[in-house]
Amino acid sequence: MKAVGLQLALPSAIVAVVLSAGSVSATESSAVSKREVDAKISYCQDCHGPQGQGYRGFYPIPRLAGQQPQYIENQLRAFVERRRPNPIMSNVAHVLRPGLMAALAAKFHSFNPRPLGGAPPGLAAKGENIFLNGVPEANVAACAACHGPEATGVGEIPRLAGQLYPYIVRELTYWSKERGQIPSKPDTSVIMAPVAHSLSRPQIEAVAAYLSTLRK
Amino acid sequence: MDLRRRRARTVPPKDRGWRTIAAVGVGVGASLGWAVLALALAGTGHAEDTHAAAVSQKDVHAKMQYCEVCHGPSARGFVGYYPVPRLAGQQVAYLENQLKGFSERKRANNIMFNVGHVLSPAMMTALATGFHELNPPPLRDAPIELAAEGKKIFTEGVPAADVPPCAGCHGEDAKGNDQFPRLAGQIYPYVVKQLTDWTKERHEEASEIMQPIAHSLTPAQIKAVAAYVNSLE
Repeated sequence: MKAVGLQLALPSAIVAVVLSAGSVSATESSAVSKREVDAKISYCQDCHGPQGQGYRGFYPIPRLAGQQPQYIENQLRAFVERRRPNPIMSNVAHVLRPGLMAALAAKFHSFNPRPLGGAPPGLAAKGENIFLNGVPEANVAACAACHGPEATGVGEIPRLAGQLYPYIVRELTYWSKERGQIPSKPDTSVIMAPVAHSLSRPQIEAVAAYLSTLRK
Repeated sequence: MDLRRRRARTVPPKDRGWRTIAAVGVGVGASLGWAVLALALAGTGHAEDTHAAAVSQKDVHAKMQYCEVCHGPSARGFVGYYPVPRLAGQQVAYLENQLKGFSERKRANNIMFNVGHVLSPAMMTALATGFHELNPPPLRDAPIELAAEGKKIFTEGVPAADVPPCAGCHGEDAKGNDQFPRLAGQIYPYVVKQLTDWTKERHEEASEIMQPIAHSLTPAQIKAVAAYVNSLE
């Protein structure tokens, strides 16, 4: 199980395993079959939208399409470990083996549908300025420094381009109530805590509106 | 919603664990860093009416916390979308010189321009002193097998390629001096990027010294030197 987990950390290995899964799945319970991945993807799509573009349900459900695989895997583990408590996602994640988490993350990363849109108009220009330049006099760091000039993210740092407006607003507003809830297990979410606290509500809305329109 | 109230509580309780080292570092910096104190005192004494802005310890602390969002806890460096350099232990004169370089567009970097141009000279000095006082363990992010070759280049140079020993200016222990930056413990991808793209980014006077050296080093030599300096305390 552990060996498979390590092997699956490499994207090329995932493809190999997924492709050869027909023969592997019968013999090794920890390997992931294509059928299993497809079934699970379809299950995720019930809430996250047909192409993983996100969905406005009772809660804003985030876009996963194009997301950084490492970020997705880290969040799935955070749901399991309750670093990021979320009853629905904890239930989803705790049945996933590491191999399946990696396969799902790689699959969602490969999708590239249009952003869902729907942000209030007229905020994007202000949001772009905050995203690229920060608000230095208010000690708000430029988002682009970590998330990249096109908001594509890298590694554990998430892609924000095309993310749902209400989801970004909600996350930035409640950051420290939701993320990094186990102090003995600090994760990358601590980086965002002071940033989220320093942003005013109008600034959060402007950044969210800008990001929700970005296509990459 | 109230910006001032939000900003007042810049250290949320649950960050304290993560921030402990930084907070201790800042605390030490504030008590030992007489330069900060001296500036603050001088500022309240006579500088007020001459616009030489004084810096309060609270403002310096908040600004350092802001810097650490990208430069990592205790400013040990961080790899975000770009490699963001370690500032901990850096030479004060070098940090001030770079901040001025960014805000005068002598060193081209849009993000750091925005950071730098709102800083008063007194705040630049206070930040430079504060970061100089920090001493977290370096991030070990280099291919260590390259360090032996890097050490040779660092201490002996590559005479055949007109590369002088780095130690000549940066010191045997790579701690730097005055405007010559400390390289010890710097993150690997940052050193590689700087040496590779030297003239694309740097135009300030002091950087001219490094220009021919950066150009003479091969990509393999750059990696080796970067791995060596990353391995130093």
